[in-house]
Formats: sequence, structure tokens, C-alpha cells
Amino acid sequence: MTDHGYTQGRSHIWTSDTIRDIHAKAELGRYQIRGFSTFRQFPSWDDLVFLPAVMTRLPLEGYREHCETRTIIGGGKPDLVARPLELDIPIYLTSMSFGALGTNAKIALGKGFSAAGSASSTGEGGMLEEERAASTKLIYQMTPSRYGLDLEHLRKADAIEIALGQGAKPGTGGLLLGMKVSEKVAKMRTLPMGVDQRSCVRHPDFLGADDLQVKIIELREATDYQVPIFLKLAACRVEYDVKVACKTGCDAILLDGTEGATAAAPEYQLDNCGIPLIAAVRTARRAIEDLGMSGKIQLVVSGGIRNGVDVAKCLALGADAVAIGTSALIALGCNSPQYLDDYAALGTAPGACHHCHTGRCPVGITTQDPELEKRIDPEVGGERVAKFLRATMMECTGVAKSVGKRNVHNLEPEDLRATSLEASAFTGVPLAGVEWTVGPQYLGGR
Amino acid sequence: MSQSATAELVLDADDGHRLNRRMRDAIDAGTREIRVVNPRSRHNLGVGQHGPGTIRFDGSVGYYCGGLNNGAEIIVSRSAGWGTGEAMSSGRIEIGGTCALGTGASMRGGTIVVRGNCGPRTAANMKGGTLIVEGAVGYLAGFMTHAGDLIVCGDAGEALGDSLWAGNIWVAGKIAGLGADAVVVEPTDEESARIHGLLAAEGIDGTFTFKKVVAERKLWYFDARDPEAWLKV
Repeated sequence: MTDHGYTQGRSHIWTSDTIRDIHAKAELGRYQIRGFSTFRQFPSWDDLVFLPAVMTRLPLEGYREHCETRTIIGGGKPDLVARPLELDIPIYLTSMSFGALGTNAKIALGKGFSAAGSASSTGEGGMLEEERAASTKLIYQMTPSRYGLDLEHLRKADAIEIALGQGAKPGTGGLLLGMKVSEKVAKMRTLPMGVDQRSCVRHPDFLGADDLQVKIIELREATDYQVPIFLKLAACRVEYDVKVACKTGCDAILLDGTEGATAAAPEYQLDNCGIPLIAAVRTARRAIEDLGMSGKIQLVVSGGIRNGVDVAKCLALGADAVAIGTSALIALGCNSPQYLDDYAALGTAPGACHHCHTGRCPVGITTQDPELEKRIDPEVGGERVAKFLRATMMECTGVAKSVGKRNVHNLEPEDLRATSLEASAFTGVPLAGVEWTVGPQYLGGR
Repeated sequence: MSQSATAELVLDADDGHRLNRRMRDAIDAGTREIRVVNPRSRHNLGVGQHGPGTIRFDGSVGYYCGGLNNGAEIIVSRSAGWGTGEAMSSGRIEIGGTCALGTGASMRGGTIVVRGNCGPRTAANMKGGTLIVEGAVGYLAGFMTHAGDLIVCGDAGEALGDSLWAGNIWVAGKIAGLGADAVVVEPTDEESARIHGLLAAEGIDGTFTFKKVVAERKLWYFDARDPEAWLKV
């Protein structure tokens, strides 16, 4: 089997990928950058299975009975949040910037998530007016670089997310290569057109949690206590990070696992930093419970969530909602088998493309090229995304009903079993068959 | 909440519930002068205000005073904490004393004048407008400044202008050290006249010899400018 002219030999250290990587670095003199998510293989959601109701539980009629999916984020502090984010489903669109994505893709996603009764998110690049118009509910993301940060945009938002980390590249700032810093993107970000934008990682006006607590109040004052304020964290030191986040007074925490994707990141970050979401969810829930903040602060999780059963597993482990990105882009047409010559020009093929960083997205999603962007029809794309979300929720509610739940938020760890040692250790869920949990019993059955 | 217009509205920060909202309502109702007594270094005073109108704080304020300002004039008689005027889009802020970290962070327009010194990270991520410091600034001033003018009449600390984009930094005093990709260039006579004009408009007289600090632009791009180079991964 050859790959870019290389053949995989017998060494597990000096694989063809490793050799090709060293050759590229020797030629370029810099680290590799690419889009998509980590190529590392971790224990995945496939290592957990549900235990449907048989003799000790009663299943719901899968095709007839209702299973509630309504989700409220930021409803735990009514004195501080007049308009919590109310969603029909426990899934919303994670933050992906205008710049990383083109205008038509942003509009299509806004339409799709709105049709599903959910929310989309601006991402780093400021609020795109077209996206605001297309989105019934829109979360405004405030990153350290504060591109296009504007009081009126904050007031137009349905929630505000302060980004403190991203699963794909925790501990670093945003990255947008010059091919995508178009005139429109440059204007929104106040950048010279065509620069390789490497954003800062630290916010300019707060450093620690105590300062952030004041900052959150500032945002509430500016928006008149209308909307919830989220913190987005990369999954790293989960227990402590989540506990400190709770102390800041935020309304929700978005925890992004290392499986989270990006339009561009150093490959050494993608494959070596942060922990998988499956290892983070239960710990995060426990941290919130330890502080007595369950119900007051919602936990949203993201990173590599592919389908409705993954959603259900996240909810069972303790998430109040999930945020998705890559699966929504794939629903929109990412990696679909069309425009094959353009995939070939990138040295890739449908199903294997991770070239979001180049701005030459064959299907017109992660690009600022007007000609490529025409390949996304916002109406058609929005319908595809809405249909995907509908199917995803059919899976989520379907499995919840088989387990005997009338509300997807009633799913719990006891509904799961692990099929691998690692998954059991990561989640505190007992191994299927033997009914014991791998690792220390620190979870105490929670 | 409705508020009738008065020539000058006096608010007591000790009775501070929803103080910012009351200021906005007063300006909407036609009040043009608001005086806030007893600020006692409280945080988040004068946040999210709009013009036209002037808000005066009799004393010192805490963090984020004038944050997200959208057209109001905000005058603080004494000193201010972190993030003064952060993300301001328009208007004017004047601080009579000193400012702490992150003054004018990510501001996009308007003018901030600080009569004393400023702490570190002054004008970090600034995206427009003018920030004038009569005294000195701390380390990392002008960090990743995108646009606008940071004018420092006194000295500047270490790492000045680190990773600048297209903003300009003007320093009349000593520069302890430049940040990555920052360089000192000779300003033109027209540029010096423009900066002195901005100072004169704020009542700052005197002839300063400014050093102009801009990006050398070596960090604007990765070394390889060949798009094909990005396909090797």
C-alpha cells in the first residue's frame, strides 16, 4: 500500500507516516499544520453500550411514545439570566468561525440548527450578519483576540461563550492561514489581508479566575442580565478546571475533548494535547456535583460526537447537552464524493480529506473562495443539516426509550456498560459481563 | 425603567443596584451630565454606556470601567483598575490618575486618555482609536495591536509592541525592550504633527520626540508562502 509515494514497512516506530512527516519538516523548516481532528486512536464511544430494558425495566414504545428532548441551558440562575437558552434538542452547533468557514456554510448551518429548534455559534471571527439573520438562536463566542467584539453584537446574542480553550489545540490561540484571510475576513478581524493569523491564547484583560468572575459580571451588566454566559474549556485537568470555572459564576461550561476538530492547528497539538472526551465527562459532572452546582450550572460537552447514540452516551455520563461541529459539516457535504478533481489537486480524496487549512475545500465549506463557496446552497445545505439533526435525535430518543426513559436527560451511567478496559477506567462504567469497574473506586458509584 | 431628563443626575454608587442600567436610561431620557459619587473602586462602573452624555466618577474605579463603551464620555477623577475602556467602539474616557493592566484592551475606536501611568498589557489587541498615556506603560504594551495609536509620553516597559499587527506605538521616553517583531522607525514630520495634534486636543502641551514602533512583519507570515507547502501534511 503506498501513500504519497511511501510504502508502509515493518517498523512500528519508523512508519511511512513518520518518515513522510520528517521529510516534510526537513524541507519546510516548520511544524505541520492541518485541519480536521486528531488522528490518534482513543477508546471511543463505541466502547460503551446501553443496557435496554428487559425484565427489570420497562421500555417505551419506540415508534409511538414520546421522549422529551427539551433542553435549557443557563436556567439555573433566574436572578442573573432573564432569557436562558431554550432548545428543542440537547444538541447545538459548536463554535466555528466565519473565516474558518465560508459565508454560505455559516448560513446553511444557522438555518439547519434553527429548523431543528436549536442554536448555532459565531466562533472566533465576530458576528456575521448573515449568520445572525439565519439563526433563530445564536451564541456569541468571545475569544482572547476579541475579533470584531461589539456591544451591539453581544446584545443581539442569545448566549455568550468565553473561550478559554479548544480541544483540538488547548493552550494555544486560533490559527487561520493567509489563504483564508480574505478581504471580508480581514475587515471583520481588523487584520491585514492575507496574513497568517495566529491568535493570542491569553485574554487581554483578565488572567485568572478571580478576574474572570468580574469579567462575567461586566458582560452581564453590558447585556442587562438577559442571556447566559458559558465558558468553553479544553479537556485537560478536568476536575480542577471545572471546579474553578464554577467559581467564576458562569452559567454553563462547554468542555471540549481532544477529539474536537479545527480548521487549522499544529499537528503536534492535535495529536498530543488534551484528553479524550470519554475520559472527561464523568469527571466534569462529579466536579460540578462536588460543589453542589448541578442544576445551577449546565455541562455541555463536545469533541468527536458522531451520531445520536454518542449524544445519548454523553447525556448518560452527565452532560446536559452536547455541541457538534464536524458531524454537522459532514452533513453539509464535507468529504462527499463530488468534485473529485479538486480533491485530487489537494492530494486527497472523499472520505480522507482534512485540508480545511488550505482554504481550497472541494465542497465549498471551509473556504473563502467565492467560486468554491457557490458549491454550498444555503437552503439545500440547511435542509441537509436539519435532516441530520432529526435523524440524530431519532437515534438518541430511540435508545433512550429502549432503556425506558421518558426524557433523554434521565439517562444515567447505570444505563451503560463498557466493552473495553480503557473505557471502563475512563468512565467509571462497569465492564460488561463481569460488572466491576476498572481502576480505583474513586467515583464511588456516581 | 423610565427616567426624566435633568441637567445633572447625581447617582450614589453606594446605592449601586443596576447603576449602569440607570445611567443608560438617564441618557436615553435626555440627561447629558451624570455624576457618580462614592465609586469606592467598585468594578464594572460605566459599562456598556452610549452617548451622547458625560459620566463623571468622583473618585477611583475598579476593573472594566467604561468597558464596551459605545459613545459616552466617561471621566474618572482618580485611578482605575484592570481593563479600563476594554472593547470600546467609540466615545472618550479620561482617567485622572493611573490605570492597571489591560487599559484599552481590544478597543476599536474612540479615545482614552490616562493622566498618570498604565500597567502591563496596555492596548493589547487594540483594533482602533487612540490611547494616550501621559506617564509610563508597563510590559507588553501594544501586544498584538491590530490598528490605532498608542501614544506614551513617558517610558515603556519590556516587550513593547510584541507581535504587532498594523497598529502604531509612539513613545517619547525610554523603551526598556522591544517585543518580538517590533521595530523602531523614524516618524515623518507629518506623522509627528498628527500625534502632537492628538495630544494638544487633550490639553497635553509640550514638544515630544517620539519613537515610532511598528511591526517588522516577520511574524505576519510563516516562512513558506507557497500554498503547495500546506499540502504536505
